[in-house]
Amino acid sequence: MNELGVRNLSVRYEGQETYAIEGVTFDLPTNTITVVIGPNGSGKSTLFKAILGLIPYQGKISYSDGKNSDPHFHAGYLPQRFVVDQSIPLRVDEFLNLTLVTCKHLKAEKLNMITEALTQVGAENFHNKLLRDLSGGQLQRVLLARALVHSPELLVLDEPEAGVDPGGEKIFYDLVKKLVAKKKITALIASHEMTLVRSYADQVICLNQKVICAGPPEKALKQVSLNKLYQEDLWPHSLHTK
Amino acid sequence: MTELVQLLSYPFMARALAAGLVVSVLAGLVGVFAVLRKGAFFGDAIAHSSLAGIAFGLLIGLPPFWPAALYTLFLAIALPSLKKNSRLPLDTLLGILLPLSMGTSVLIFSMLPGYQPDLISFLFGNILAVTTGDLIWLGALTVLALLLLLYLGPKLMAVTIDQDYSQITGVRVNRYEILYHALTALTILAGIQLVGVVLMNALLVIPASNVSLFAKSIKSMLIYTPVVAALTALAGIIVSAILDTPSGATIAVLSGLFFLGGLMIKKLRN
Repeated sequence: MNELGVRNLSVRYEGQETYAIEGVTFDLPTNTITVVIGPNGSGKSTLFKAILGLIPYQGKISYSDGKNSDPHFHAGYLPQRFVVDQSIPLRVDEFLNLTLVTCKHLKAEKLNMITEALTQVGAENFHNKLLRDLSGGQLQRVLLARALVHSPELLVLDEPEAGVDPGGEKIFYDLVKKLVAKKKITALIASHEMTLVRSYADQVICLNQKVICAGPPEKALKQVSLNKLYQEDLWPHSLHTK
Repeated sequence: MTELVQLLSYPFMARALAAGLVVSVLAGLVGVFAVLRKGAFFGDAIAHSSLAGIAFGLLIGLPPFWPAALYTLFLAIALPSLKKNSRLPLDTLLGILLPLSMGTSVLIFSMLPGYQPDLISFLFGNILAVTTGDLIWLGALTVLALLLLLYLGPKLMAVTIDQDYSQITGVRVNRYEILYHALTALTILAGIQLVGVVLMNALLVIPASNVSLFAKSIKSMLIYTPVVAALTALAGIIVSAILDTPSGATIAVLSGLFFLGGLMIKKLRN
């Protein structure tokens, strides 16, 4: 069964002559981790924003049978960049609570949801901490908790390893894998880290404006596909180092 | 001391203090959003731009408040779509709007015959001239704005902190952008008589910035900023009455001094 079906998805930004992504088609099987790889500017973030309804697109995005097409009912999102304003005294619990402003839950229920999300990412003591006081790794955990607080069925993580030290990356991916298994979540992740992709992905989509290759890692990450994706001279750093 | 008590017993003083309290509480609350959004220039630009509406009102012989209200609300509502269609940053648009509106107001004022005493009062405020009628509409305006904030504040805060995520969670971001701009415009209109268009940021931005130095949460910012704004306004009105200085300017200077004091305390604590 598929959580999400993407058909012939194209995005062209206003004033641009070329498409940021064009004719992208794939399915996300339920309770799997799908990793999208591709060079910088290949359209990974654009694809995610289209799926989340943040930008207009052509084509079709459909959730599994009977589900509302509004991503509000399904999706949690961890953006590629989240700049914390050092002048804002925003507490972690306030930050997560802002994700629940459209929900009809009672205050106590919302507090439970926040506590549960923080506990899931091992940040149960972060309630009263200020966002600006968190380290990069702690902030990523809180951003993941925000993505989880509404009990999403689809988790969209745009380069979640950014800002996390190398040891922390593995812990983060372990956490996501555990959540996918335990909470029946389907994860869509953008990444440049091939070692992590090989270890954690159930499915890989190679994107460079169009889908260049797709399938399980052992099939999609063959040298010939990667050469085509990164056009040989644009290999990601991690391909050489890991 | 007896002089102060006697001064406070005058009806015009009581009206001034009541107006100062009402407007500063509103400005303090809206100011929290302005500071969180880094929108200090927005308030300043809208306040200055309202002068074009005031000048137009004086030119055609209408009470200047209404053309100013129409013009600032129009700007507040039109700006988000202007930003979207022009693809220019809000800062740039405001940088265009401010000289255009100010230039227009100066041209209109130059067409008006004789000395314009109202101009100085609109520029720098004249709280001691507040009438009972002014007080009633100021109260109504403030209650309306507070109700809007009470009901829509959480979603407005969500949009203020993270627009993309708000949209994912189902908040209609554009509507809340317009709401914020309209609230700011209403606050500025309410504050014109108190501190004038030039000094509006004394109540809109400075108290919230001061509180943000010490606040440990957004909630505490929302609680303490109106308190600081109200104390500033009330102290400013009383000091201006005692020293016989312009009320708007006194409030602005006090507000700035309070901020500098806050900054020093923060520095010493660290």
